[in-house]
Amino acid sequence: MFVAIRDLKFAKGRFFLMGSVVALVAFLVITLSGLSAGLVKANISGLMALPATHIAFEGTDHPGYRNTMIERYMWEGWAGQDGVRHAEPMGHTVFNARTEDNTPLEIALWGIMPDSMIEPAVSEGVGLGIDDDGVVITRDLLDDGVKVGDTIILDRVLTELKVVGILNESRNIGHLPVIYAPLRKWQEATYGPPGGPPPGEQLPDIVFDFVSIILLQLEDGVDIAALDSQNETLTVDRNGYFAASTGYKSEVQSVQMIQSLLFVISAVVIGAFFSIWTIQRTKEIGLIKALGASNAYVLKDALGQAILIIGVGTLVGLLCMFWFYQSVKDTELPFMLERATITTSIIMLLIAGIVGATMSIRRITKVDPIIALGRDQ
Amino acid sequence: MSLNVANVSLVFGNGGEQIKALDNVSIDLQPGQLMAVLGPSGAGKSSLLAVCGGLQTPTSGKIRVGETEITGMSGAALTCIRQQQIGFVFQQSNLLSSLTAVDQLLLLVNMRGKRVGQADRERAIKLLDEVGMSHRLNRRPSQLSGGERQRVGIARAFMMNPKILLVDEPTSMLDQHRGRQIVELLVRECHEHGVATLMVTHDHGILDNADRVVDISDGQLSERVQ
Repeated sequence: MFVAIRDLKFAKGRFFLMGSVVALVAFLVITLSGLSAGLVKANISGLMALPATHIAFEGTDHPGYRNTMIERYMWEGWAGQDGVRHAEPMGHTVFNARTEDNTPLEIALWGIMPDSMIEPAVSEGVGLGIDDDGVVITRDLLDDGVKVGDTIILDRVLTELKVVGILNESRNIGHLPVIYAPLRKWQEATYGPPGGPPPGEQLPDIVFDFVSIILLQLEDGVDIAALDSQNETLTVDRNGYFAASTGYKSEVQSVQMIQSLLFVISAVVIGAFFSIWTIQRTKEIGLIKALGASNAYVLKDALGQAILIIGVGTLVGLLCMFWFYQSVKDTELPFMLERATITTSIIMLLIAGIVGATMSIRRITKVDPIIALGRDQ
Repeated sequence: MSLNVANVSLVFGNGGEQIKALDNVSIDLQPGQLMAVLGPSGAGKSSLLAVCGGLQTPTSGKIRVGETEITGMSGAALTCIRQQQIGFVFQQSNLLSSLTAVDQLLLLVNMRGKRVGQADRERAIKLLDEVGMSHRLNRRPSQLSGGERQRVGIARAFMMNPKILLVDEPTSMLDQHRGRQIVELLVRECHEHGVATLMVTHDHGILDNADRVVDISDGQLSERVQ
């Protein structure tokens, strides 16, 4: 990279500009990757935290959390089967609600068996099961002023939920905060009459025979299709139950399309830069060839320069992204900083940039050294 | 090492639109000889340089650099020949804008895949000193005058001990006084290093420095008797 290094030192302003554009593109790509990962997580962070290898829905064509109803015989039909380590019933209903001071909320109420594998660990307060009305909330609700000891009232059904514990993490489904309630409490709210049973009466047992889904931990080799057929369920794996969340699939596809476009744009932008740079240097390239440089020498020099600019630009973009993350990490902006996401973005960006630069630099091989004589024959 | 051009023609175009840039030219140039090729624009001077330097393949005829026939060689082989045997001095010096005077010469070492060492640096400085540029070693072309750039170009041409030197109108961008200085420098270097030198020019004022003078017109050569 004899000429390349000296070029960089000589034309600092020009290469600073090129490097800045690369850095900007890198910042955009990596930050958007983090934002998109955050967005996806905001949709399904509650599902991502579930310790289930599979989820069984009511046996329909398309699994979905809003329109699935599982009867007792179905979840009992799964439990105890060979290869089925756990089969836990779980309820899911979306409610409008309000706090005691009338702050409106929209929440996803999850009914689970206290002390089951589904129950998350709280960082503040106590878990489920101690108080029949006690619920555990995601920490996102702290932003709405909810705290331990508060009561949340579900609209329409007027069921009262007492906040007894708070999670340390954000748990969402369909961008709604999750509240974990004892299964019976969930069943009362979902299937019972508004305001609860009349005084002196109890809810009929049948109310407690229904849930929404079954959380499963299955060993390899379980005949899922047979068990589905036997229990009238539709079982999906982890990716499947993520995809069942409303809007998840379209969000992921939109985000993936944006990311793909960004990679293409970065290749084009970087390619355009180096194309123009190569055109500007055509005479010098012809001269170097006339003096006895091979195509390989010239290509190696030019490509080395391109890789250096792309590498440094990407590094600067990455550092800018870290700065951006520090400034938004305590805000509501959904941003997820994950090593895998960033590493993948950087690798894709480097590949896109090098492909773009290579496509434009290869014209170097076509430069005729005769132009060093000042004639183009 | 001698330069031998035997019955070389260079024709562009085909059918009825042919242009004969060189028409059956022959040259036999011995080591240490400087031959000036004089002709107006469009006479074929650059074409002659181009075929002798392996930058253009002649339509017919043979060109020999020492014992090696270069007509018909592949591009990669010609690149090798230019690297090892041929030096160029261009019309406008043609220096790389980002390299200092010393680096212009050291580039030729690097091109050969060699690591630039102290010995190479010393040789480059010595050559630049020979052409009167020892006080401008770390200047880039934009910081040099036209004459100074041409001097660096001449030093560069001799860096890899070429056997053949091809010079393209070295005085065209210079005033008369500086032009004479450059040509005298070329003659001195050519004789000192025993290099067969072909210099194309349209400047009559420098002919008395040449060992041989040929006129070129419409691609045909005719040698003057000196």
